Parts: sequence; structure tokens; C-alpha cells
Amino acid sequence: MTYKDFDIVIIGGGHAGVEAALAASRMGKTSAIVTMDAKKLALMSCNPAIGGIGKSHVVKEIDALGGIMGMAADASGIQFRRLNLSRGPAVWSTRVQCDRRYYNDYVVEHVSGEARIEVIEDLAGEILTENGRVKGIRTESGALIQCGAIIVATGTFLGGLIHIGEKKIKAGRFGENAAYKLSDSFRELGFEISRLKTGTPPRLNGDSIDWDKCQIQPGDEPMPLFSHQTKRDAFKQTPCYLTYTTAKTKEIILENIKRSPIFSGQLNSAGPRYCPSIEDKFYRFVDKPRHQLFLEPEGNGTSEVYPNGFSTSLPEDVQAAAIKTVTGLEQVEITRPGYAVEYDYCPARQIKANLETHLVKGLFFAGQINGTSGYEEAAGQGLMAGINAVLHLEKEPPFILDRSEGYIGVMIDDLTTRSTTEPYRLFTSRAEYRLSMREDNARDRMADYARKYNLLPKAVLNSFRELQSKTETAILSFKKVRLAAVDLGKYANELNNMNSMTLEHFLKQPQISIEKAMPLLVLHNSEFADQPEVLERAAIIIRYQGYIEKQQREINKFKKLEHETIPEDFVFQAITGLKQEATEKFQRFRPDSLGQASRMEGITPGDVAVLSVHLKRHKATA
Amino acid sequence: MTSASQKSSTNEDTIVAIITPPGEGGIAAIRLAGGQSLALLSKHFRAVRKNESDFKPFLMRYGFFVDDKLEKIDEILAVFMPKERSYTGLEQIEIFSHGGSLVAKKIQEILLKSGARAAEPGEFTKLAFLSGRIDLSKAEAVAEIIEANTQKSFDVAREHLIGNYSKHIEKLRTELIEILAEVEASIDFPEEEIDPEETSKLVKRLSNLARSIKELADSYSGGRIISEGFKVAIAGRPNAGKSSLFNLLLKQERALVTPTPGTTRDYLSEWIELGGQAVNIIDTAGLRSGGGVIEKAGQSSAKKIMNQADLIVWMADLSQKKWADFLSEDLSEDLNRNSIILGNKIDKVSLDEKTKKFISDHNVLPLSCLTSQGVDSFKSVLVNRIAESMPDLTSGLVVTSARHMQKLKSALDEIAQAKSKLAENQSPELTALDLRQAASELAEITGRIYNEDILGQIFSKFCIGK
Repeated sequence: MTYKDFDIVIIGGGHAGVEAALAASRMGKTSAIVTMDAKKLALMSCNPAIGGIGKSHVVKEIDALGGIMGMAADASGIQFRRLNLSRGPAVWSTRVQCDRRYYNDYVVEHVSGEARIEVIEDLAGEILTENGRVKGIRTESGALIQCGAIIVATGTFLGGLIHIGEKKIKAGRFGENAAYKLSDSFRELGFEISRLKTGTPPRLNGDSIDWDKCQIQPGDEPMPLFSHQTKRDAFKQTPCYLTYTTAKTKEIILENIKRSPIFSGQLNSAGPRYCPSIEDKFYRFVDKPRHQLFLEPEGNGTSEVYPNGFSTSLPEDVQAAAIKTVTGLEQVEITRPGYAVEYDYCPARQIKANLETHLVKGLFFAGQINGTSGYEEAAGQGLMAGINAVLHLEKEPPFILDRSEGYIGVMIDDLTTRSTTEPYRLFTSRAEYRLSMREDNARDRMADYARKYNLLPKAVLNSFRELQSKTETAILSFKKVRLAAVDLGKYANELNNMNSMTLEHFLKQPQISIEKAMPLLVLHNSEFADQPEVLERAAIIIRYQGYIEKQQREINKFKKLEHETIPEDFVFQAITGLKQEATEKFQRFRPDSLGQASRMEGITPGDVAVLSVHLKRHKATA
Repeated sequence: MTSASQKSSTNEDTIVAIITPPGEGGIAAIRLAGGQSLALLSKHFRAVRKNESDFKPFLMRYGFFVDDKLEKIDEILAVFMPKERSYTGLEQIEIFSHGGSLVAKKIQEILLKSGARAAEPGEFTKLAFLSGRIDLSKAEAVAEIIEANTQKSFDVAREHLIGNYSKHIEKLRTELIEILAEVEASIDFPEEEIDPEETSKLVKRLSNLARSIKELADSYSGGRIISEGFKVAIAGRPNAGKSSLFNLLLKQERALVTPTPGTTRDYLSEWIELGGQAVNIIDTAGLRSGGGVIEKAGQSSAKKIMNQADLIVWMADLSQKKWADFLSEDLSEDLNRNSIILGNKIDKVSLDEKTKKFISDHNVLPLSCLTSQGVDSFKSVLVNRIAESMPDLTSGLVVTSARHMQKLKSALDEIAQAKSKLAENQSPELTALDLRQAASELAEITGRIYNEDILGQIFSKFCIGK
């Protein structure tokens, strides 16, 4: 059979695929999401939480660019926390524990409400091209779908292989299928394909857990939300619990470690170092007597629990024996075993900063196929791929965020300039301009783009403009308000001197946290008493002022090289003084700018200097 | 349109230069670098033996250098270095002709006429840097070796070239990254039980690191003497014999070519080698007008020079009646300066007991510029003083470049800021900002772009992962 034509075909209906389809739809383009199960859109395959350190920044950016992730997490959240509150506001991170089922339903419902998105239940088998451009796809059932752009967001399903002990199952997710033909299609097109692995813990029956032996972790009040479009009343949050492995756990795991496919040699792909399996943790950090586990509820309507920290690919009998030695889990029932999953990805130097492949025009990659891990990382790329696929169809210049504009920019730049040695996830330490890229200013950073590409309703953008001008007003007021002794008296323990000072000066005292200052801010800015966000935003700007100025100088230096763009017709082979290795790298992975070239692996400052001279000459003669 | 500076850095040109020093010599060497090197040589080379006219890498060929009319210019040896194995990273030829500036110049001229371009100063080394053959600090070291005019400056430059210096900087940077990783781990993994080092321990590590960097930075005072020479200012009243001493030293010691030529100056400055060290002697005589009246303007210029000097040689005229009073007056302002006091014209006076006592109390060295009496002992005192000011060169870790010095200083500033933030328990992201800046200052010394290797440190150290 042949489907009708679409502007864009999206292979995969996970977090990346969904954001791509929604962004394209908002920009007026039709798309088909080709997925094996239409009811599993944006399913959380691993832990039931969105956000966390580094990742929450991306969720805020997605939200500010009209994406769905933030709203879905807010709507389905059962526990809301703000991590790192004792550190500075640049690294505050929202984390929302979600009802897995509700999150999935929320997204399915929104996608089905979009007239321009069609979900097709099929398995993509082949990428069809003509003269180096995409033409469409052929599904494994033989159907043909024609389109002008393709976004590949296959997750762990591309060549997916699950390992549980000695057992191997061809699947991208437990109990599901995987796509094998598609990998062959990529190979035929000339793509370099490699393998990565990730893992997930067993799921537990919460009714069989002795909660009293675990340490409760309540949510934060008031609950921190991702999206400004969310209206949600306070409710009784569901707590998470903390517990620990015991000496017996260590003994059982180390005794059976040879039965783990990672240690038996059955599975050799690289897994994430930041999310090691429990056997890996005991093996590598042998001096550590115990490891912590977070017991996270999977939702309100289910008793299933996700033991965060117990990812494993040991055989089921070992999993069962080992988990029962964890404090509070002595009687626990496993509802589903943990496993490792191996999958194909295309090392991301094969894509450009707009996520389009160098090899095939109109072919975009997003998510795990680029070697990343995490819902947030996938969604961020999906959104960018969706926008850029539309721009490609419209023959408009691409939308690229640079490293100083957002975590999405940092991520894509890292992917395209460095080789992946493990599944990539974001950390705040990856962002060199961290102080200027915060949760609180995600919308300030993204608003112009949202406006330019019509990614958000006018009303939302206008209300944000209002917030911006209120923030300005508050900043001015902070500079004027002079605090009296009676104000400062309450802070006698924190302040070095009690001389009268402005609110601005007060906020710059390192010992005074914004949280602690809040009562004074409210007192002296009564017009914003019911809008703590205005006061918080203004306070953060004041607090970081000097540091941001220092950082801005670095950003300016960085931008200079970023703006030295390399034209599409620039021939790297014509540069005579370059090392052959550098020439090949440049030609193959075509950096978009001198800045990007300078960050490529194996490229020396000398190579960049040579490139820079030739680029100038090229531009002068062009 | 291309500007001169662009032209000089591109490799489309084939550049040529005589690489041996000007003047008489047994052999002169001419170097060609660039894509046309071999073609240019082939055009002007005629092998003595017919079967030896092809150039194989690193095989010396013997023949004649001929001009356009095939007239023999000189008998030469020539060697071809393919770009994969040459210093510049470009196709390279070296020609060895007979010495004497004329022949080499003639060969260079012919090559220029055939399409080569004259190399700019340092261009071969610049190409070596651009082609990735050497890192930035090594490129600077090559320049130092070329400029090295004494054994000591050569030793230091060689250490830089071998890379011990780069390795040392890299070691300092690695320690900085390790400390940064501790700070970053507390930001990115707050819920992990990673047990980062206590603040006090980190502060201590930072103090130690700062001390190491400061030690290196402190070597600059000595390093500067090595690269710029030891500055000796000869000061004293008019007619004390300053110029006589200046000329005497120039006559007796090996004069050096000034490393920093072309500066206009209204005082006399020359270079000699003394005790293996380049010494810059400055005669402040020109700064004082004749007739014994000290002009205000001249005085302030003299002061300036004296302030920059590593050592001041005060000259007193023992034949002057009030020399001791003058001397006391002149010295009163500069008691703490590194100085040597000379009593000139010893041949003209006989000293009474009181004067002898003054001389020994004030460590005045009596000498005569006229008869050279006492000059040798003055020189040995001077050599000792220079040796005392020199850094310990055994490690080879001496900063000789002002650029490096500035980077080290900035790194120290950032570390100091980070340290006080840590000690005050300020937000870790602010401490991290300073530490990152410090790390990139160090990275800029070796020209290495600052890479993200913090996470690598974190993962190797802590058990991360939920």
C-alpha cells in the first residue's frame, strides 16, 4: 500500500519523535510518526522522572520553544523537587517524579489533537533517496511514504538486543520488537554505525516493600513547575524513599558477576559511566561497602516501584536473590526483570549542527541514534530536528543554538565535534557559560526564537514580555531601596557589617541566599508580593551581575570564532598547509564555523590557524 | 586582495632564506619551504654524476647550482625533505653552498627570481607551529634558541624545546582540573554519596598549587635576565670615568649583537658576554649635561634607567676632593639596591688612613680605567653578582616569556579568588568559574585549547550513578 505524502516522516514515537512532530505541526507542516505502537508515544522506558541536574535546563528550554515535555511532566507529576537549592541559582534543577501512565496518555491525547500529525503503526525498513536527497521511506510491511524530510528517532529500537544474564532477546524494549532492516539501509547509504548499551533495573511490587525501613524523601512545597502554561493546584505529593544495599548484596553480586553479560564478554558495547549497573558499581568501587537506592513510585494508580540505582543485566535468579538483601526489600516481589539493551547509533560527527546528516540532504537524526541517553536530551534534539526539517523544506537558514545560548546548544555542539565513547548525557559542568544559562532565564534566552518560528501562542509570549518588564522594574527598585538597621537586624549572623546598604548590595552578600533574602524583597516591593517569580528573577540577576560580566567577556571571545562561518562551497582539500588528518576530518565532518572546527577532536590550534587564514582569503576573493 | 600578513602565513608560497649567520664562514645554508621547493631546486641543480640527479628524501646530492643561463654559480650539496618529515610540515630543501655572504646571496636571488618569496623572520618556525609539528611554547622556544647568544640562554631554550616546560605546565593544569572536578562533582551529583574532599583539604591543595605556579612565575626575574640580558647601569658624577669604564669593558669582552635592535635612545647601551651571561651595560653619562650641573630632566631619565637595572655600578672619582661626600649623597637614596661602588683613578692618588677606612667600610673597589689596575677584580665581583641573581637552572623550568608570565599571573589571581570563595563557603559554581578561568590561562601557555576533561576526572574517582 501507499500512504499519502507527508512533509516530514518521523521514525520513532518517543520523546524525540513527538517533539519533532509537534514543532513541525506548529510551523504548519504535516508529519507522519511511524511507530510500532501508537499508544506508546513518549513512553518513559526507564525511570519515571523528568528533569534533574543539567537535564532540567533542557526541559525549560524545550518549554520556552513550545515543546510538550515540560507541560506533560507538570501535568503527570506526583512529586516535585528543586535540587541543588543550597548552591547558586545557576545550578538549581527541577525534577519531577511522574505517573508513567498519565504522562504517556497526556502526550497521546495531545498528538491526536493535532490535525497535521498522523501516527502510523508500522516498522520503518528503508530510507529512500534520490540524488542525495530523501524521497521517502519503505516500511517493513512494504508500504511507501513519500516526504521531503525524514527525522530518525529510533531510540534503543535500532538493532535493539536485550541481555538478561545469558539470555538474549531481539527487542528495543522489554516485550516489544526492534528494527533491524533500517540499520542495513543506513549502512547502504554509507553511514558509520556503532553500538552502545544502556540498562534498566527490575521493577518491584510496592506492596511487598517494608517502607518503614526506608528513609522518606518528600516533595518540595510550593511545587516547582517546568512550564508557565501549567496551572496546577497544590496536592498531596507522593514521596520517594531512600534505602541501601547490604554486605550480603555485595557478596551475591560479586559471586555471580561472571554471569553478567558485561563481565562474561557477551556484551562489549560501552554503557554510561554515570549510570553504571549495580554489578559494575560493586566491581569498580570495591572498597565501597554499600550503595544507595532510590525507590520511586511509578504512578498513583499502580503499586509498581522503580529501584533507581539497581540497573542490572544479571540473570533473573541472581536479580531476585540480590534485591532481597536490600534493606526494606527482604520480601520484595519483582514484577519485571532488569536488563541491558544494546542498540545501533550513528556517531554524531555524521550530522551537522542542524542535526541533518552530511550524507543525505533532508535526513535528520535525533536522540539515541546520535549517541545520547535520556528523555530530555532526546526531546531537545527532536524539537530542534523538527524545526530544522521545516526550515529545510522552506529553504530557510537553519536554527542553531550556540554553546552560550542554551544547554541544547552545548549538547548538539558536543555531539557534532567529539566522538561518543559512552551514551551522552548533560551535566551543568559541560556548559562553560553556566552562570548565564539558568532555568530562570530559559525563556529570556529562547523568546526571540519562539517568536521568530511561531512556536508559542502570542498570548504566552506577551505575558512573558510583561514578566520581563516587571523584572526590570524590580531590579531598579532593588538599586534604590536602602535597608535600615531594623531590616538588617534579622541577618546579624550572616552579615559582616550592619551598615545601611541598598537591597542590591545586600543581595550581593555571599552569605545571604536568595531564599533567605525573600522576606525583605517582598517587604520592600509589595507590588510583587504575590509574584515571587519576579523578585526571584531580579534577585538572581543582581546576585550574579559581576560574574556574568566576567563570563560575558569569554562569551564575546567565543562568539567571534562562532561567527567565522565556513561556507558550504569551501573546499578543505585546497588548503595546502594542513595535515592530511586534519584535512580529512574537516572535509568529512564539515565544521560550520571556525569555532566548531577548533573544538573538533584531534584538531590542533595550528590547524585552526591555517584554516582561518585560508577562510579569510576565500571570503576576500568570493 | 590579500594583506601582507595573510600572505606570510599561507603555504601556497615557497619561501626562501639564508639560514646561516651573515659574514664569512666555511659553509652557508639556504632553505626553501613550500610546494615548489623541489621544482625550484631541480631547475637550478645540475648533478656532478648524471645518475645522481634525482632527489630522494634525506639523501644528500652533490652538484652545481646554475642560474637561468645555466651558468655555474657554485658547487653545492643539497638535500630534499618531504613534507611528512620536514620541520615546517611543507616540502623542504636545504642547500649548502660555499661560505661568504656573496655566494649564498646570489643563490637566494636566483631562487627569488624563479618565483620563491623571501621568508619573513621566524616564518619557518611559524609554519612548523601551523602544521602542528610543535606546540606554541615549543615554537617560542625555537625562537629563543635562535636568539640565544649565551650558553645559559641556550640551555633554558633547549629545555623548553624538549618539552619539560610544557609538561610541567600541563602537570599544574592537571592538578587544577582535579580540584575543579571535586567542586563540579558536588554540583552535578548532589544526591550521590560521593563524599567530596573536605573544603579545608581543597583549600590546601589550591595553596600548594598556587605555590608551585608562583615558584615558576618567580623564575621570570631570572628568566628575564636570561632572555633580555643582565642590565648594568654605570652611574656617577660627571667625569668620574663612566664612559672610560664602558669603553674598557667593550674592548676587553666579547661584544654581542643586540637582541633588541632599532630602539631610539639617548644613552649608550651595549652588550657583552661576561661569565657566560649576556650583559647589557648602559652608560648613563649621556643623561647628564656637562659642567657638573645635574639637569632635572636628565636626572629623572637616569633614575628610570637605574630603576630598571639589575645592578648599578657607582663610580666615584678618587681624585676629587669631595668624592666621599658626593658618594654618600648619591647612595643615600638607593641603599637597598644591588650595587658595586668603584673608586676610579686610583693611579692618580695616594690614600690616607681615613680614606682607606672609608673605602673598606663602604666596600669601594679601587681601580683605574687608565691603567686597568683593579679592573679584573671588579669583573670577578661583577660575575659573582650576576651569578647570584641567576635562577637555578638545573630543572630547566624557567619562565622567559612575558606572555607566559602574564598568563601565570592571571592564573594565580583566579586561584586566589577561588580559594577565598571556597574558604568562605560560597556557592560552588562561582568557585568553579574562577578555577576554569585559571585552567584556561594555563592551557593558553602551551597553546592547547581548553578541553572538557573534568567529567573524566569525576567518573574515575567517584562512584556515580543511580
